[in-house]
Amino acid sequence: MSSVPMEMKENTVASSKWLDAHYDPVANLYTFTSCIALADLHGDGENKLVVGDLGTGACNMKLKVYRGTGLLSENTLLDLPTGLVSFLMDKHEPRTPAIAVASGPFIYIYKNLRPYFKFTLPPLEVNALEQDVWSQAKEDMIDPMTLKEMLEGIRDKADIPLSVRSLRFLMLEPQDMEEFVNLHKQQPIRRQTVITCIGTLKKNMADEDAISCLVIGAESRDIYILDPEAFTILCKMSLPSIPTMMDVTGQFDVEFRITVACRSGNIYILRRDSPQPKYCIELSSHPVGLVRMGKNVVVGCAQETLQCYTQKGKKLWTTYLPAPVTTMAMMDLPTRGFQAVLVGLANCEVHVYRDKNLVSTIKTPDVVTSICFGRYGREDGTLIMTTKGGGLIVKILKRTAVFEEKDSVPGPPLAQSIRLNVPKKTKLYVDQTMRERENAIAMHRAFQMDLSRMRLAAARAYVKALESSQTPMSASLSEPLKMNAVVQGLGPSFKLTLNIQNTAACRPVMNLAISFLYDEALYSMRTAFFKIPLLVPGLNYPIDTFVECLTDKGISDVIKVFVLREGKSAPLLTAHINMPVSEGLALN
Amino acid sequence: MGLFDKLAGWLGLKKKEVNVLCLGLDNSGKTTIINQLKPSNAQAQDIVPTIGFSIEKFKTSSLSFTVFDMSGQGRYRNLWEHYYKEGQAIIFVIDSGDKLRMVVAKEELDTLLNHPDIKHRRIPILFFANKMDLRDALSSVKVSQLLCLENIKDKPWHICASDAVKGEGLQEGVDWLQEQIALSNQNDENMRPS
Repeated sequence: MSSVPMEMKENTVASSKWLDAHYDPVANLYTFTSCIALADLHGDGENKLVVGDLGTGACNMKLKVYRGTGLLSENTLLDLPTGLVSFLMDKHEPRTPAIAVASGPFIYIYKNLRPYFKFTLPPLEVNALEQDVWSQAKEDMIDPMTLKEMLEGIRDKADIPLSVRSLRFLMLEPQDMEEFVNLHKQQPIRRQTVITCIGTLKKNMADEDAISCLVIGAESRDIYILDPEAFTILCKMSLPSIPTMMDVTGQFDVEFRITVACRSGNIYILRRDSPQPKYCIELSSHPVGLVRMGKNVVVGCAQETLQCYTQKGKKLWTTYLPAPVTTMAMMDLPTRGFQAVLVGLANCEVHVYRDKNLVSTIKTPDVVTSICFGRYGREDGTLIMTTKGGGLIVKILKRTAVFEEKDSVPGPPLAQSIRLNVPKKTKLYVDQTMRERENAIAMHRAFQMDLSRMRLAAARAYVKALESSQTPMSASLSEPLKMNAVVQGLGPSFKLTLNIQNTAACRPVMNLAISFLYDEALYSMRTAFFKIPLLVPGLNYPIDTFVECLTDKGISDVIKVFVLREGKSAPLLTAHINMPVSEGLALN
Repeated sequence: MGLFDKLAGWLGLKKKEVNVLCLGLDNSGKTTIINQLKPSNAQAQDIVPTIGFSIEKFKTSSLSFTVFDMSGQGRYRNLWEHYYKEGQAIIFVIDSGDKLRMVVAKEELDTLLNHPDIKHRRIPILFFANKMDLRDALSSVKVSQLLCLENIKDKPWHICASDAVKGEGLQEGVDWLQEQIALSNQNDENMRPS
């Protein structure tokens, strides 16, 4: 018996496409797909893993390099990394790539894991009016309050937004303004932008070891292409929205395409010789991941779907996913001619999609936040994932693994084989139908007679209840009220809460009172009659009173509550409360 | 075997020929090991990654080895199985410094052992836990644990730590291999009807 499941287990392991090379749940790596890269840093044919670790988000930002299963080096980063790419910047031998880490308005270039160069984005144009106002403040011609008013005027009207310094000044309390102006007025005003995404573009050759340009997306809705050697801006393009993810293909000198996913939920496609985007894809929800597959773009959306578009913005297909997308990456095996999309999902799975077909599912012990596929160490098909909890997972694709073309869940849906829950009929039912067939007329008459009697009885009881206002819902049009009563406690003292609500649309109710009727030998109340406040429509008024049980014989009785209108003796509402038996004496 | 050959064998003039397959992942040190086993005047100075495979020969006290030095690169690994039939012994080389690819080595070993040409033959397998001079190298015990060598029940196997650049540990392995081949030859002779 026990050998069968064991055998089955072995079979599933054998049929798996991935080898578990390494799992370190406490690697302390907190990063995203944009901050992870594989590169042959030392030119020895062994690829290293370069990770821009976000740390806690405020401190401990590090540039980590892994070799095999161990950490090779760590460099402290000054600011939070937003993107990390490795690229070849010169033609020197050996061909060791440089690492570019984007953070804030800067790009830090590392060569041989040593800081090499720092590129700063050009500052943005400053509003001339703002500059005038600050130069006046510098010469002490205006006081901080006037400065504030003038800046507010500029903020509301001008088309060039204010600099960070002015915006921060406007946020200050009046007593701090003087000090702020004195501290900052000497420095010139600058407006900086921030890098949001980074990519690489081959300069003029498609070879693997050709030099590449950096492509930068900035918060100022611009795309910059940088020269790899001189770090000058080769090309600047502008977008209608702020770029968040980017995919670059082609060569700078020949023809290229930049696919940019923006914060507005649109995807724009930029080409050479067009400073404005040529095509726009409008998505129904925000893009989470963007991967280019040949000439198509596969987008993971926030609404748990995977959508594919052509580069002219025509939708090809949509796949519905079982959970939200956390990250996406490209899986490319050129030696086998295999391309697929890796989708990390929030249900601790990574799906491999080839076109719209799911070809493989990888279960992970934690939610995956970043994925990278490529050559790591000396192995071509290596899948590297980091998890939400900071773990590192390395899997290697088997040499013999084959991905089937068709979907891995074939056949009719599972629901088709579930039997409907139709109840069975017994002999009793058949006998009953026989009787109905024979005595149909008598049965109909008897039922109609009983029905009219029941209607009469119901109407009588209803009229009686209305006459004595016994219902807990008021039927009168002028005072629509609702009441229910709750008893709490074990006794001898109980807490009695009445919940009263005015159900009118917009008419408050005034001058109401509450009166209790009870057996004075059994219960005592501090006040058996009190007024209730004005009832605003829609609000629930809980009114508490305390009831003391006097008897020690374990007897319970009914307390009646009446809601009365001042000047009228007939109650509007009545509630009957069945008091519970007092358990307090038994406890004593 | 002709009478003359037999006679030459007894006299030690002609050594018995054995075909050996040298397998293992790329960059594990197969070619370097074979090179070290050759006489010092025949050794190559520069070792480059093997393309496809190469045939090398070396001699020990009683045997003459012909080694199929296979390339271990992923794209050439499917060549291995074409030479399984010829092999009378297997040398499997493992890079003990490459912890990440130990699973790949295990996977290749498992496919090798389950291959129809190997599965039912009692051929000796010699493992070299190579590159033991590296600082972060695993011990041969640890390597045999990671490769689950204790599960090989039907074949004689032996693992030794080696440093192929200096030649340490290679002689021990080859001595064991020679002994095993001598044993299996004796068995063959005994089994043969007289």
